[in-house]
Amino acid sequence: MNTARLAPTANTAALASGYRRTMAEKRRRTILFFAALLVGIFVAGWIGEVRLGVFFANFGKLGVYVSNLVPPLHAVTFGADMAEWYWGFDLWLIKLLDTILMAYVGTGLGFIGGFCLCFAASANLVQSRWTTWAARRVLELFRTVPEIVYALIFVVAFGLGPLPGVLAIAVHTAGALGKLFAEVNENVDLRPVEGVVASGGSWLHGVRFGVLPQVASNFASYTLLRFEINVRGAAVLGFVGAGGIGEDLLIAVRRFYYTDISAILLMIIATVVVIDLVTEQIRNRFLHLERGP
Amino acid sequence: MLVFGRAGLRMLKLEHVTRLYGATTAVDDVSLDVARGQMVAVIGPSGAGKSTLLRMINGLARPTGGRVLFEGSDVSGLQGKALRAWRARCAMIFQQFNLVGRLDVVTNVLMGRLAHRPIVTTLAGWFAEEDRLMAVAALDRLGLGAQLAQRAETLSGGQQQRVAIARALVQEPDIILADEPVASLDPANTRSVMQALRAINRDQGITVLVNLHDVDLAREWCDRVIGLRAGRVVFDDAPTALTGAATTELYGLERLAAE
Amino acid sequence: MSRGLRADAMARRAEFSARYGAAVSPSLPRQLSRYLLPAVLLALLAAGLWRVDFSPERIWNGLGKLGFILSFMVPPHPGNLLGLFIRSLGETVAIAFLGTLLGAIMALPLGVLAARNVIPSWIFRFSMRRGLDVLRGVDTLIWALIFINVVGLGPFAGILAIMVSDIGSFGKLYSEAIEASDKKPVEGIRAAGGSELHALWYGVLPQVFPVMVSQVLYFFESNTRSATIIGIVGAGGIGLHLADQIRLNEWQTVAFIVLMILVTVGIIDFCSTRLRFALIGKGRLSG
Repeated sequence: MNTARLAPTANTAALASGYRRTMAEKRRRTILFFAALLVGIFVAGWIGEVRLGVFFANFGKLGVYVSNLVPPLHAVTFGADMAEWYWGFDLWLIKLLDTILMAYVGTGLGFIGGFCLCFAASANLVQSRWTTWAARRVLELFRTVPEIVYALIFVVAFGLGPLPGVLAIAVHTAGALGKLFAEVNENVDLRPVEGVVASGGSWLHGVRFGVLPQVASNFASYTLLRFEINVRGAAVLGFVGAGGIGEDLLIAVRRFYYTDISAILLMIIATVVVIDLVTEQIRNRFLHLERGP
Repeated sequence: MLVFGRAGLRMLKLEHVTRLYGATTAVDDVSLDVARGQMVAVIGPSGAGKSTLLRMINGLARPTGGRVLFEGSDVSGLQGKALRAWRARCAMIFQQFNLVGRLDVVTNVLMGRLAHRPIVTTLAGWFAEEDRLMAVAALDRLGLGAQLAQRAETLSGGQQQRVAIARALVQEPDIILADEPVASLDPANTRSVMQALRAINRDQGITVLVNLHDVDLAREWCDRVIGLRAGRVVFDDAPTALTGAATTELYGLERLAAE
Repeated sequence: MSRGLRADAMARRAEFSARYGAAVSPSLPRQLSRYLLPAVLLALLAAGLWRVDFSPERIWNGLGKLGFILSFMVPPHPGNLLGLFIRSLGETVAIAFLGTLLGAIMALPLGVLAARNVIPSWIFRFSMRRGLDVLRGVDTLIWALIFINVVGLGPFAGILAIMVSDIGSFGKLYSEAIEASDKKPVEGIRAAGGSELHALWYGVLPQVFPVMVSQVLYFFESNTRSATIIGIVGAGGIGLHLADQIRLNEWQTVAFIVLMILVTVGIIDFCSTRLRFALIGKGRLSG
């Protein structure tokens, strides 16, 4: 069979014009999309006071700033230079540990709150639609108000220090975890629950023995993830006086103590990275437990 | 209130029990008397209302009309603690076993003791030694002594159903309701489960109501057969009276019974 | 076998205890091990509570004060600053929009470079990934503070802060999406004679593009939340007014601003979810 060229038939013309039309339509839509995007950019840029000239000029400023951040480190006097850079290491370390503790306590309290509310918020576990609706709305309120707004208000109510920070984290976490837990609950197999209840158990027994074994490792995994996020959050709550290393960072930035800024920042980054790694390891363990023997 | 009446003939009584789901009638004006110690099979085509009927006895479903009486007391409208007490006396086993897969076998069986203990201790997972002994004894009887510490989901279907039977046993029930207990099992396991139910019925005098999809099983194991079709009782007699004609009428033209 | 279960169990107690020891009476060490982890966690929690001065007295007083504050919040009322707040909200959304967009665009080359299928050098990829992690790990608020020092107060600093934060997140997401993409179209293009660039443009990108856009929309919503608070440190948006009104104890205004924020975020959440459905279809919605 020789490789004859594919000769156009009567159909080809119709097909080709159909294709052209579809492609044209697609192109039109894409152009429209980008045009809208461009308009959006210009409007936003105007509102956001973005001036291109300033934008590019600022790259220079950024460069100067970054170079200021880097402390003088010479190979010869490395030890002494490091000691100079991290003059406040002891203080900052304690503050960092306090920050992590803040995140822990906040996550712990938030877990308790979210755990208690999540069953009421699970449509498959409670009869009354109203209970579910109300619980869901409460959880939503807790988690949509930003943590730092809670911190600001709690500082007024409870005074300065880590306590309002912990409470802010707790409330926000309760909302976030409560919703996640409720979603996990709604995907649970109800047959074991029916088995427990048909044997004479109460609703509480049904949850404790029927639901909990199915959801426990998911709950733990979400809580660990939340803890990781809360460590980052706790680091900045100090900006509004709610405790933790944020306070020290704020002072350093406002007073242009450049080397302090970089020192503290690096410590924060290191902490976050370590916590991320550790929680990831633990979560992997839970995943293996989930898959069973 | 449950009154302890004479352990006489009229143990379980269904009076004009009806269950409607919207426009559908699942159970239609069923009246039955079940004497203590009987082993009763409930058969019928799927959708006939067998499951709904059984579930209305222990309160997993509520009758829309009529009532269920146990030893003279109305148990169809119970709530709260009274309902739990009733369910403790009226154990149920399910087609899909309804065990907690992640928990070990012994804890699953201990679920049968929940109604007899204070809520606080049981929620914490503490059970009296007496309860544990009963659980172990039940499992031992059913040949599951080697599987005590295993997670329930690692057991075979037949074994899981026997765990469920053990759970029912430790409730010290008056009645055992079995909703298609062998539908998911192979012939060998079907046999051992039916044998276990029969032994419980004969040796301890516990009344058994069992939903079955297989007419031959009903004939082989039970004293009395009730045939349900479209929610109504169309047959109620000894297994010997279950002729081919009766079965054909019960199941429609889809099935030819063995003589 | 005709003995009742309970009688049987009690009569054969010794036998069962011997044979099934652990099931009948769980040993003390076993019982304790079950409760060991929760006990440690609770102990740590208690220690933490003590350290942050979680005294009942302080809580009680604080709750009382909080009660007062909440009562002052009803009804929420903007005073005569409604116009100002609406403009600020517009600024907030603009900050989120530009920050997300710029972050999404600038992360593209970085994400591509950090993907396994593109650059074989393990070291390069590793450092890219860690670099992106750093950008991601530092809270947007911290970036805001720093950029204020660089470009001054105002929304520009906010845009940059969100942009940098997003570059980290998007970079990681892009690289993961590229690594998870189907290799077959790439092979097909190469087999037909296309270059590496062709393979990337026509083979990989069409697959990952919907996922990427979906992620960008998701981040736009979460960035709007961030944008509402960076004003607290002076990076533009409504956060500034919120902090001010709290300092002035104008609780009705505070409540009103919070409501405005919730409504705005809710609307953007709604639109973003709709668009993501349209793009990806219900089953594969991510995030």
